[in-house]
Amino acid sequence: MKTTWKDIAPVPTSQEFLDIVLSRTQRQLPTQIRAGFKISRIRGFYTRKVKFTQETFCDKFQAILDGFPRLQDIHPFHKDLMNTLYDADHFRIALGQVSTAKHLIEAVSRDYVRLIKYAQSLFQCKQLKRAGLGRMATICRRLKDPLVYLEQVRQHLGRLPSIDPNTRTLLICGYPNVGKSSFLRSITRADVDVQPYAFTTKSLFVGHFDYKYLRFQAIDTPGILDHPLEEMNTIEMQSITAVAHLRSAILYFMDLSEQCGYSVADQIKLFHSIKPLFANKIVYIVVNKIDVRRPEDLDPEQQQELQDILNSGDVEMLQASCTTTEGVTAVKNAACDKLLAERVAQKLKSGTNTSGTPGGRLGDVLARIHVAKPMGGVQRETFIPEAVKDLKKYDKNDPNRRKLERDLEEENGGAGVYSFDMQRDYTLANDEWNHDKIPEVWNGKNIYDFVDPDIESKLAALEEEEEKLEADGYYESDESVEDAEDADIRMKADLIREKRVLMRNEAKMRKSLKNRAQIPRSAKSKKLSEMNRALDSAGYDVDAAGDRARSQSQVRGRPLTRDEPNDDSMDLDDPKQAIARAKSRARSVAATDRRNDGVVSDTARDKAERMFKLGQKKMNRMARQGEADRHTTASLPKHLFSGKRGMGKTQRR
Amino acid sequence: MAVRAQFENSNEVGVFSRLTNSYAIVAVGGSENFYSVFESELQDIIPICHATIAGTRIVGRLTVGNKNGLLVPTTTTDQELQHLRNTLPDSVKIQRIEERLSALGNVICCNDHVAIVHPDLERETEEIIADVLGVEVFRQTVADNVLTGSYMALSNQGGIVHPKTSVRDQDELSSLLQVPLVAGSVNRGSAVVGAGMVVNDWLAITGLDTTATELSVVESVFRLGEMAPGGQGAGVNKESIVESFY
Repeated sequence: MKTTWKDIAPVPTSQEFLDIVLSRTQRQLPTQIRAGFKISRIRGFYTRKVKFTQETFCDKFQAILDGFPRLQDIHPFHKDLMNTLYDADHFRIALGQVSTAKHLIEAVSRDYVRLIKYAQSLFQCKQLKRAGLGRMATICRRLKDPLVYLEQVRQHLGRLPSIDPNTRTLLICGYPNVGKSSFLRSITRADVDVQPYAFTTKSLFVGHFDYKYLRFQAIDTPGILDHPLEEMNTIEMQSITAVAHLRSAILYFMDLSEQCGYSVADQIKLFHSIKPLFANKIVYIVVNKIDVRRPEDLDPEQQQELQDILNSGDVEMLQASCTTTEGVTAVKNAACDKLLAERVAQKLKSGTNTSGTPGGRLGDVLARIHVAKPMGGVQRETFIPEAVKDLKKYDKNDPNRRKLERDLEEENGGAGVYSFDMQRDYTLANDEWNHDKIPEVWNGKNIYDFVDPDIESKLAALEEEEEKLEADGYYESDESVEDAEDADIRMKADLIREKRVLMRNEAKMRKSLKNRAQIPRSAKSKKLSEMNRALDSAGYDVDAAGDRARSQSQVRGRPLTRDEPNDDSMDLDDPKQAIARAKSRARSVAATDRRNDGVVSDTARDKAERMFKLGQKKMNRMARQGEADRHTTASLPKHLFSGKRGMGKTQRR
Repeated sequence: MAVRAQFENSNEVGVFSRLTNSYAIVAVGGSENFYSVFESELQDIIPICHATIAGTRIVGRLTVGNKNGLLVPTTTTDQELQHLRNTLPDSVKIQRIEERLSALGNVICCNDHVAIVHPDLERETEEIIADVLGVEVFRQTVADNVLTGSYMALSNQGGIVHPKTSVRDQDELSSLLQVPLVAGSVNRGSAVVGAGMVVNDWLAITGLDTTATELSVVESVFRLGEMAPGGQGAGVNKESIVESFY
């Protein structure tokens, strides 16, 4: 909810208003009319002027109307406060006048726009516009007083303290000069003027303070005199408004020393007369200036009167002295505590559903602050070592501080360099064992699978047995003689293995082509000597094969016979020809002539050609590249159709 | 005493350490800063063990223990187990358990008297917990969450549960455990209180992001430091809290 109105735009005086609107019209619309303009254009020109002026007026008025709070929409406290300070009727009338002016200007504009429609000449139009704007200006000028008033209200509103009517509030009231402002000064940081005369405080003042982590507002009100409501002035009425509307704890200040100039009886009387306003509120009577006079020092009659007030039960008395600050905090705390308790009780009541458990958001909040205590029974034993109590608090700057791992780390090169000793703190039977190396795996076996707590005793037993065996001469005989046969077999096996490895390596070497082309073995030429060697090593007779190869090889130099193809000769399987054939076959395959493929006769061929041409016809006509050509050219090529062509000459160049 | 700490820029100190009344286990980190936080508070009082579990640093989530014993998951290697055995005092029983829910720290929450465990834990595991840790075992959930170890921090003097735990659940758990409980958060509103802090009977270590309010709740419910005798800090300001939050 809005509690401050500091952001209302300033309200100009009527003269400024006019200047603003008219200069805006002048600046933002065209200003020149030329000879030869059509009358419709001239009419449009002036219509626009009138309409624009009217819109500017209306916008500005609307902004004023929107900027000020509407009394029916704000909190009753603020409404009443404004009523007291600015007179609600006056305020409403001022805003009403602005609103009326707005409507009038709209009507004027409508009329003159209609008239301009029928104007016959530039002169008529201009005169109508002048008349229209003149009437708007007159309406605006008549708003002189309301605008001045609204500007004053705006300035005053902006300076009102921000009073939140719904928050935790302490309200300080009482006769003038009883020490209300000094109390506010002493409990908050508000810099309130304190003077030894009545009505130093002429308006409401707000101070804030914290209590139990909560922000409270304390409101200092002007003093109230005891007379009927109708006779109260604006200053007193502000106090009454605050007392009546704010949901707060009320601190009614009394000055028993009568230094304020009002008798105790008067003060008690005032309390009784404004008591109806305290309904449903927490009320405290705060006896101020107890350094001068305490309630006990009063004469019995007055004491009795004071007691009568307290006897009703819902009013408590507190004592304080702002000069000696005695009891000030106590007053504040008492009031705050009670206020808080009541507000919380109310909230709990409103947040609790019919079944009596707090639900919704309140339930969540309460769950967060609930401490679940065990339902009686055992006290859980704690195990806190004695050493904890004697532990000196670690202090980083203490030169005799305990040495931590971090210090060691710093000394040994810092993080990333230092490697801590994991085994340092082992609690083994012998400290020397801490850094013993234990293998994880031994002979392919996980050491920890064989960990045996009784290993020591078992080892001892074994050793004993061993000693016994040794003593018995069990290990005397020596049977480690290797016979020659075994050695021979071993040697041969080694040779075989070696040979096998060599062969494998050779095959690997052969296989690695190193990016060379792979030539089938049948296409490779082999030397006769190679064949001979291979056959020889495999144990075949090489002579016959050598003779045959030699008979088939070409003789070097001029051939002895004429090389003439002899059709009659037997078709010999010449190995060279076979190789050549194979090579040429791999190289190319004759392309088939698709135009002639599948054509049985000349007539069929003619027919096919005709059909082919017919198929081409449309493509050719459309200047297509082929049947897939879907290109669309520009329908109006720019370079052919642009350019000025004066004098009826259509040719471009 | 409640201390804030951070493990390599992570606030989840309960993930990287395990604190009990008779020993502490701290993950092996890039530097010794985190270890030294434990050292500065616990040196020469209880052994602090640098350890990994199954080669990981999330020792706090994988193990569970109290004054009497330590349970490690089946993934723990033989060497790690031996290291723990060598470092921890002989009074602490160490047991490796075969359990499908191998993040024992997440599924078991215990002090020296009671353990609250995941409802799906195996029967054998439950028996081992009772034997090794010497506690009564209850299958329970915290705020309808089965991961009791993650959402609950417990000592012999008090406990913090998931912030959304209902009042009724809190009361129920509290009478089961026989320690006061509060619903709270650590690390600036983190609900995983079990993973966000470690606590024993005289020391709590929380993440570095923990707010002063959260820390004061921790101190008061676990009765650490100045809060040690009596007073439940959370109850004092009930009015203020209702007034400002509702």
